Amino acid sequence: MKILIIEDEKSLTDSIVGYLVDDGHVCEAVYNYNDSIEKIELYEYDCIVVDINLPDGSGLDIIRRVKRSSKSSGIIIISARNSLENKIEGLDIGADHYLTKPFHLAELNAHLKSINRRINFNGNEQIIFNEIRLLPNEHQVFVCEKEVKLTKKEYELLVFFISNKKKLITKSGLAEHLWGDYMDMADSYDFIYTHIKNLRSKLLKEGCADYIKTVYGVGYKFDL
Amino acid sequence: MKLLTKTSLNYLSVTLFVFMFAVILFYFLLRHQVNQNINIELEKRKSSITNQLLSAHSSVYTPPNQNEKVIITAMKAVHSPLLSFYDTLFYDNTAHKYIPFRQLGFIASFNNEKFYVQIFKSLEETDNLIVRIFMIMTALVFLIIIILLITVRHTSLSAWNVFYDTINKINNYDINSHNEFSLKTSEVKEFDDLNRVLLAMTQRIEKGYASMKEYTENASHELQTPLAIINLKMETLLQSSNLDENQFTVIAEAYEASNRLSKLNKTLLLLAKIENRQFPDSSAILPHIVIEHQLESLEDLIESKQIKVIKQFETNVVRLMNPYLAEILFANLIKNAIRHNLKGGELIIHITSQFVCFSNSGTDLGLDEDKLFERFYKLSTSPESIGLGLPIVKKICEIYGFKVSYSFANNLHNFKIDFDFKEQ
Repeated sequence: MKILIIEDEKSLTDSIVGYLVDDGHVCEAVYNYNDSIEKIELYEYDCIVVDINLPDGSGLDIIRRVKRSSKSSGIIIISARNSLENKIEGLDIGADHYLTKPFHLAELNAHLKSINRRINFNGNEQIIFNEIRLLPNEHQVFVCEKEVKLTKKEYELLVFFISNKKKLITKSGLAEHLWGDYMDMADSYDFIYTHIKNLRSKLLKEGCADYIKTVYGVGYKFDL
Repeated sequence: MKLLTKTSLNYLSVTLFVFMFAVILFYFLLRHQVNQNINIELEKRKSSITNQLLSAHSSVYTPPNQNEKVIITAMKAVHSPLLSFYDTLFYDNTAHKYIPFRQLGFIASFNNEKFYVQIFKSLEETDNLIVRIFMIMTALVFLIIIILLITVRHTSLSAWNVFYDTINKINNYDINSHNEFSLKTSEVKEFDDLNRVLLAMTQRIEKGYASMKEYTENASHELQTPLAIINLKMETLLQSSNLDENQFTVIAEAYEASNRLSKLNKTLLLLAKIENRQFPDSSAILPHIVIEHQLESLEDLIESKQIKVIKQFETNVVRLMNPYLAEILFANLIKNAIRHNLKGGELIIHITSQFVCFSNSGTDLGLDEDKLFERFYKLSTSPESIGLGLPIVKKICEIYGFKVSYSFANNLHNFKIDFDFKEQ
């Protein structure tokens, strides 16, 4: 997946690019409005990750420009502004997601993957990871072609894991993905543990390998 | 005591005293005047009697009326005759009572003999007259006092009206209310001065308050980007595979802390925004739909704690609220009720047109209602909690004029939101 990151904070951009490149994406980064316009005019991107507050312009204008040029790129806004109006405005002009800083890299990656499925496969794509096959539209999961009945949260967990396979996913990252902003962490960790335990046993029951690894009590990794 | 009552009372006591004194004085003056008149009349009669004596052959004359009575005594018999005017009493046989008379004693000469003559004039009628005049006068005085009092009260009331209006507005003044603070203009200079000073003062305070809030908001806003950098850097660090467990745990702990910090910052920012009324758009909200939606998204939490949810919903309740704030309000209360619930406990949600009440099972923790809604109030049993959930609930309630209250009864913690709460 070819991604353009537009963010004036260089150290932020470095971390994002590092994570995404590691996950097999092709990433380019620009740090201001003018450079990003140039990039957009010249190249095609699957997805554009854009900060709204840039030193020489507004990220919203970049989005409008992308949409006008009828490019099919997906757009994710990353902003320090956490207000409903900003979110609504961003989504109104055609952004796919709005992430508030600080966000988890795994979260951004999961959104990128879902945009990728939407753009490149019209959402009909199957997610395949070894013996696991997911049908995102039907919310169905098959292990060795046998269907596994998962609850909504377990399904979300599995998609999140596969989107960020081989990466460490922290508990707080998981909690925020599953329950959003206003969840006290201490409580949610117990629930994460329960959900992961259930998900793991359901997958193992159908003969799936044990992919979900606990990493020193800090988080989880979906890997063999 | 109200100023108006006080001035009225002062005015009343002074006028009563002055008028009482005036009435008594008036009585004596009147009395004196009447006596003078009678004296003159008696003098006239004196000269006529003297003339009669001079031309009379006989002094025997007994009129039926006491007023006409003349007593003539030879001077020899009188040792010390009363001369000039005096008051005296005569017994009236027909009326069976003493009647006051004015008498004039004088000495008249007849055939070189001196006689002591006494003539009389009844005071009864004039006395009655005086009493009647006195009564009328008193009644009039009271009438005047009452009329004056009413007019004075009325005029003062209209003059003080502006002052009372000001007092009332200051009393209801709330720096968070965002209503414009305006005061009536008055014809009275002092009140106008007072209002001008008050307006200037509130404007200064509001300006200071606004800039402080702006600062808070900007500060937490600016914190977001460095926090994002810290978080992402640590996340990147955690992804590297060449860490041993010790290093890993240290980084993870720091990462957790910075996560908490950013969450805290986000929540504070939200609180600041609610306080700054940055959620102005309202639409019709059906509480039961918002609550159902929240319950659905927290289903797994409810299940894992085996909480029995009892819904007593009136489904026709509609409130005008910002949808986002409504969501936060009910979500916070539901999460609160789940978090502090017992395993296998109950969560009772009651919606009526007057209130929404969330009750959850629990043990009596002796919670202090006043402290419960304060920022960063935490129980020792939940040290991980940020302690901003209930303050946010309270703030949202304040915006919409609701009242949130806490009570503990029958092993249930109750959080109740009264919709139609009027400030007492």
